[in-house]
Amino acid sequence: MLLLDIDALTGCLASSACLVTQTTSGFIIGMLLFLVAVGLTLIFGVLKVVNFSHGAFYMFGAYFAMTAYQVTGSFALAMLCGAAGTALLGLVFERVFMSRVYGSDVLMQLLVCYAFVLIFDDVVRMIWGPEFKSMGMPAAFQVAPLFIAGGVVPPYYLLLIGVALVAAVILGLGLARTRIGKVIRAAAHNPGMVSALGINTGLIYGGVFALGGMLAGLAGALAAPVRSLTPGMGFSVLIESFIVTVIGGMGSILGALIGAILIGMIRSFGSLGFPLFTEGLMYLFMVIVLVSRPTGLFGKEVA
Amino acid sequence: MTRTRKPGVSRRATLAMMGAGAVTFATPWMARAQAKTIKVGMPTILSGRVAQLGTSSRNAVMLEIEKVNAAGGLAGRQIEMVIRDSKGQPQEAARVARELVNTDGCEILIDAEASSGAFAVHEVARDLGVLCIHTNSETSALTADPKQHIPNAFRTARQGVHDSIVGGSYAAAIAKAKGLKKWATCSPDYAYGRDTTGEYVTYLKRFAPDVEIISESWPKLFQPDYTEVVTKILQAKPQALYSCLWGGDLTSYIDQANIYALFSQMEVFAVNMADYTALTVVKNLPKGIHSGNRYIKTYPATPENAAWGDAYKAKYNEYPTNWSWENATAIMLLAEASKKANSADGKKIAEALRGLKIKSPFGADGTVTMRAEDQTLVGYAIGWGTTIPQEPYVPQVQAGDWKTIFELEAEWKKSKGYT
Amino acid sequence: MTELQAEQAAVVPRIESQSQRSRYIDVLIALAAFAVLAILPMLTGSKALLDFVIRCSAFGLFATSLNLLVGFTGLVSFGHGMFFGLGAYGFGLIMQRTGLPVPVAFVATLVITTLIAAVIGAICVRLKEIYFAFVTLAFQMLIHSTILSWVSLTGGDQGLRGGIPRPAFFGIDLSNHVHLYITSCALLVIGLLLMRQIAQSPFGYTLRMIRDNATRASFIGIDVWRAKLTIFVLAALFASTGGIIMALFVSGAYPEFAYWTISGEGIFINMLGGVTTFLGPMVGTVLLLILNDTVTRLTEYYGIVLGIVILFFAIGLRKGLMDFVVEWYARRRDGSGK
Repeated sequence: MLLLDIDALTGCLASSACLVTQTTSGFIIGMLLFLVAVGLTLIFGVLKVVNFSHGAFYMFGAYFAMTAYQVTGSFALAMLCGAAGTALLGLVFERVFMSRVYGSDVLMQLLVCYAFVLIFDDVVRMIWGPEFKSMGMPAAFQVAPLFIAGGVVPPYYLLLIGVALVAAVILGLGLARTRIGKVIRAAAHNPGMVSALGINTGLIYGGVFALGGMLAGLAGALAAPVRSLTPGMGFSVLIESFIVTVIGGMGSILGALIGAILIGMIRSFGSLGFPLFTEGLMYLFMVIVLVSRPTGLFGKEVA
Repeated sequence: MTRTRKPGVSRRATLAMMGAGAVTFATPWMARAQAKTIKVGMPTILSGRVAQLGTSSRNAVMLEIEKVNAAGGLAGRQIEMVIRDSKGQPQEAARVARELVNTDGCEILIDAEASSGAFAVHEVARDLGVLCIHTNSETSALTADPKQHIPNAFRTARQGVHDSIVGGSYAAAIAKAKGLKKWATCSPDYAYGRDTTGEYVTYLKRFAPDVEIISESWPKLFQPDYTEVVTKILQAKPQALYSCLWGGDLTSYIDQANIYALFSQMEVFAVNMADYTALTVVKNLPKGIHSGNRYIKTYPATPENAAWGDAYKAKYNEYPTNWSWENATAIMLLAEASKKANSADGKKIAEALRGLKIKSPFGADGTVTMRAEDQTLVGYAIGWGTTIPQEPYVPQVQAGDWKTIFELEAEWKKSKGYT
Repeated sequence: MTELQAEQAAVVPRIESQSQRSRYIDVLIALAAFAVLAILPMLTGSKALLDFVIRCSAFGLFATSLNLLVGFTGLVSFGHGMFFGLGAYGFGLIMQRTGLPVPVAFVATLVITTLIAAVIGAICVRLKEIYFAFVTLAFQMLIHSTILSWVSLTGGDQGLRGGIPRPAFFGIDLSNHVHLYITSCALLVIGLLLMRQIAQSPFGYTLRMIRDNATRASFIGIDVWRAKLTIFVLAALFASTGGIIMALFVSGAYPEFAYWTISGEGIFINMLGGVTTFLGPMVGTVLLLILNDTVTRLTEYYGIVLGIVILFFAIGLRKGLMDFVVEWYARRRDGSGK
């Protein structure tokens, strides 16, 4: 068993072509994870709910995008449909179901999410069938990859990284600078006070869930041209973005960004150095972070 | 239950009924009286990620059962299929299989489970002694390993080692002709992926000794993102790539490798490409991928095979899968064996099955054989060709030679300590 | 401090004398339950019913042991399934590789479980609430990926193949269906009885105190870390026993046994049956298995049906079945008392 391949790893670190290619591939993996993870962390930060059904929003985003693309033929519309559809779904899901279990313990909330993981997967199977599907790459992106400093970078992935970074900046600035952002942060800190000020916390909660769902849906839509679509496709993505949020710190947006890039790099360079233990490496990293700093790298200490 | 509760039932039986009834209000646990029909149980995967394969197995079985029943059933008894979902979990497969026999009164099992489920059902067959036909597990050890052998279990699926021998010799010929010396492999990290790739490389090197494997990648099964694997292969700059990724994993891989223009830089050998589930789904299928046949209605290029593929398509509005022909073959063999034994009894059918040769649309020479010594299927169509992006998808298939397969298989068994 | 200790010392004998009486009742109930289960094969020829009880034993031990953590100590473990898998693999491997007698292999498996649970527990129980859940889940995934990649020992994703040999011992032949059934029932009843004793012992009340207020417990001199670790290891032992029964039932062990879904099912069983009564998880086990067995017969959209049932419990009842029954009974009694 080839557990450790130091030569491949050092060989890559010495070559600029390899370094550029693997670093961008780390970013590609990381940025999609970030879009899913940031919603997870946002929902936890404000609503104190671990949204175990978050992977389903990623899945719906991909399926919505595929259907929209088949009907309209427009890539931009497909992305829009993926994001808007899941935002709506998130809003309905929060208002109708999740809002009923805020008072009860963590296990009840998890159970409701678990129930919807099961239900959503079957709903997708009913609507789109059990077989795997592929959306196909839009013609505009079927071009030769770019060469940057000897490294290979496909243009589609540049777009993907760009969209995710823009989302990260808007989200970060929005929460820090705008009035709505301040209200959301206040609601996360002290919901009772916010509602006493005459602000509808239900609306904020629904909005945050919709925002989280939208980001996961956007990730699914962006992934649809390059990943096969099947019922249950959200699951492995959920697990990885879950690791990201735990490492980065539940509730921290910066943490989600750094955690996602870290996991991306672990996968990208780990596949060279530890071809058989890349997955194990992620769990190991998670255990180490949890034990040494339970609230994650950027999480706030809870009393 | 209510049917048996009538005057004249013994006290003991009534007690038994009440005892059972107290707990069994929800499940019809009591075995029904043996009817004229013969029940055949089939645990398979109808939900989750590979539900498509389970559904296609069920479709093929039902297609064949209709024909058998129209022709009088098994020794005059109409077949009633009892098909249950195992959700792809081995303990559920074992549970469902036991229940099918013990409760539903099934006299024969068609085990349409993937590998670990098949081994779980195999243990049930060992325990209950019921006739069991494994239809989907391609893991060689299931029938090749004498420790696994039981007289009442058969296999009508491909076998990994057969595929590898044919694939290896096909690839070696091309490697020699085109001077492909530096190879990379990229296969899913689980038993099927590891065994098949290992055996393939063994036979490739045997036929083309100067081939060298310069890079190995082992993505996880159902991994959504292959970017790091694709770029790793690009760094290694091999001349050829072998992969036994399958289904949605293979199509994801192709879509992701496409935008790195991987396919223009090396020859690609993907054993599971020529399956309709993958062929019809990939939107931008690169030309010239080498692939083994899984199920394709143009190979064997016989009217029987084309007719079977079309009949399936007409009924279910999609093409059959690799699992479809393997399950159909099980029913064809059952019917033929029952005719030969003139009985629907499991033991007699098993006796008749050993060494049975039947006409088949899926046979390399129009027939397939249930080999007596290890009770696995041989003589099925097996070959390799290159793909094109539209029908017939694989215009020319180079047939594998069963004589070579038998020779090398015997050698392989010896090396494994199986004989 | 000393006053509090004195107070505690006064409480202990009271609990002791109470539990002394209830202990006899528990033993009697256990014996009666075992007698009923043991007579069952003589009353019915249904092998499927016996299979059902065997599976109930495996999952029942697992779920009840999880409740020792979740319900009694407030430790929500998402990784309890790893010990179920450990039991199945440990026992299966020992039987396949060494040919030791069954009871020796059984004890050896429990010893191995103790060691591993002690190491993992020592790391995990320091963490609180949701972080404890995360870290147990991470360990579960680590163990699962180790089982998958250590092919030479575990058989990887194919699991332990070729059946588990089970030579007869003391006249018990576990390849005989009825013998396996009786043994499973015995293990279940003994396991439940032992867990009941733990729950009703002074140590059990210490656990409840930790659950309700860990800070207060440590103020009155309880070593919270040690108590949590002890119950973590004890619960692992019973989960491991459940795994052994499952390995005997399917005559093999598969990576799915150590996957997070088993832990998830355990939690679900607890929520279904209720975490405030001792037998809640057992009721949940029977419910879930009946649900599973009937629904998979009727539809392949198992997920939707199960999902709706979960929603009924989580949003509709907001508690497990036994909790609901107990509360309803208490309300009715109060009502009629007036």
